[in-house]
Amino acid sequence: MVAGKIKQMIDLIVDKRSNGNPAIAKVTKTKLVLKGVNPDNYTSTSEDDAQIMLKVRQIAAELGVAL
Amino acid sequence: MTVATAYSSLKQVNEAIFELQGQLSITQPKMVLYFASSAYDPQELSVAMDNAFPGTVVFGCTTAGEIVSGKMLKESIVAMAFSKDIIEDVVIEILPNIKENGDMGSAFANFESYYHTTMQDADPGKYVGVVLFDGLSCAEERLMDKIGNYTDVTFIGGSAGDDLKFATTHVYANGKAYTDAAVLALIKPGCRFDVIKTQSFCSLGKKLIATKVNEASRTVYEFDGKPADIAYAEAIRKPVDKLSSYFMKYPLGLMIDGEPFVRSPQQVKDGSVVFYCNVKEGMELQVLQSLNIVQETMYAVDNIELEMGAIKALLNFNCILRTLQLESQGITDVYGRIFEKVPTIGFSTYGEAYIGHINQTATMLVFG
Repeated sequence: MVAGKIKQMIDLIVDKRSNGNPAIAKVTKTKLVLKGVNPDNYTSTSEDDAQIMLKVRQIAAELGVAL
Repeated sequence: MTVATAYSSLKQVNEAIFELQGQLSITQPKMVLYFASSAYDPQELSVAMDNAFPGTVVFGCTTAGEIVSGKMLKESIVAMAFSKDIIEDVVIEILPNIKENGDMGSAFANFESYYHTTMQDADPGKYVGVVLFDGLSCAEERLMDKIGNYTDVTFIGGSAGDDLKFATTHVYANGKAYTDAAVLALIKPGCRFDVIKTQSFCSLGKKLIATKVNEASRTVYEFDGKPADIAYAEAIRKPVDKLSSYFMKYPLGLMIDGEPFVRSPQQVKDGSVVFYCNVKEGMELQVLQSLNIVQETMYAVDNIELEMGAIKALLNFNCILRTLQLESQGITDVYGRIFEKVPTIGFSTYGEAYIGHINQTATMLVFG
């Protein structure tokens, strides 16, 4: 079973959007939760659920982040 | 003087504005913000406020009660005038037709052209936004989401009220009164600024997962695969036929970093629960229990005062449900007195804005 991709994608969104600014990183995580994906629910062992990955890709596009 | 606050409870628009002008003793303010009861004729008020402060950016909205330093009011107008020391620069944009569309591309393009920076690159430490919505548009979540996509600048504010008539709310700008619209103000403060988001709840440690929803109508049909009303009533251990009488005390919240983003239920409808803001399918919500609004608000204001030093101005977007709770406890005057020594205006809102659309919360913009 392939795992951990969702966390990688979320981390990339937060890193790219915040550019190392911890306050923006926190707000970006809040935006993700409000958009329906809670970063705290995904770890490096979380299953690569295709539906969630699609949702995260869509959020990345909305936030102007290229994955 | 860098900030002046004013209020009037006179019923005639021209008399009320004359009284406000007398109290707003700042020569050529950069910005005047006002919140007014829906008892005042919207068109007449907006024109008159704009005429009263020529050369100044003037905007505001209707309310479900007003707040000014030391007082919570009804059927009045409150206003604040800011000098350039506080508001170095400000530009406002109207978003029309927000129920159907609410495209903000041109508004943000105008912000970019005005400040010569892209909104993506605008420094959240140098700019802050104020947003006022038509409080009956049900468009707030969608628009806050879009704002958050465009920029990392914080936009804070609230949804206009109409003194609990739930008929029409207005936002005011450029001498006009708008419905089905939002006003966005992008401010470049000339001093330090910060935001407060305070809500007085603790988690009961019980979760409800929304498993069937209609986001657009803010309706949850099912929690945890059960009819929403039954699952909610079970979670708070109250009879399902009396569920709505416990809504204010036990709302739900999306917990983020241990802090609730409150979702307040409005009514039970055929086994579903309709909320004051949307809940997405799959969202995990905590059951909350209300605590002491006065104590928590005082703590939040004191804390920011400690961090910033003296507060020069405070804008308070206070949920109408908090106001109703304060009224039911007979302590609105105690709440008002929290802001006695702080230049403050605010209003009782139909929803609060901070990153998203939230309920039973006070969001505040503080200049120090």
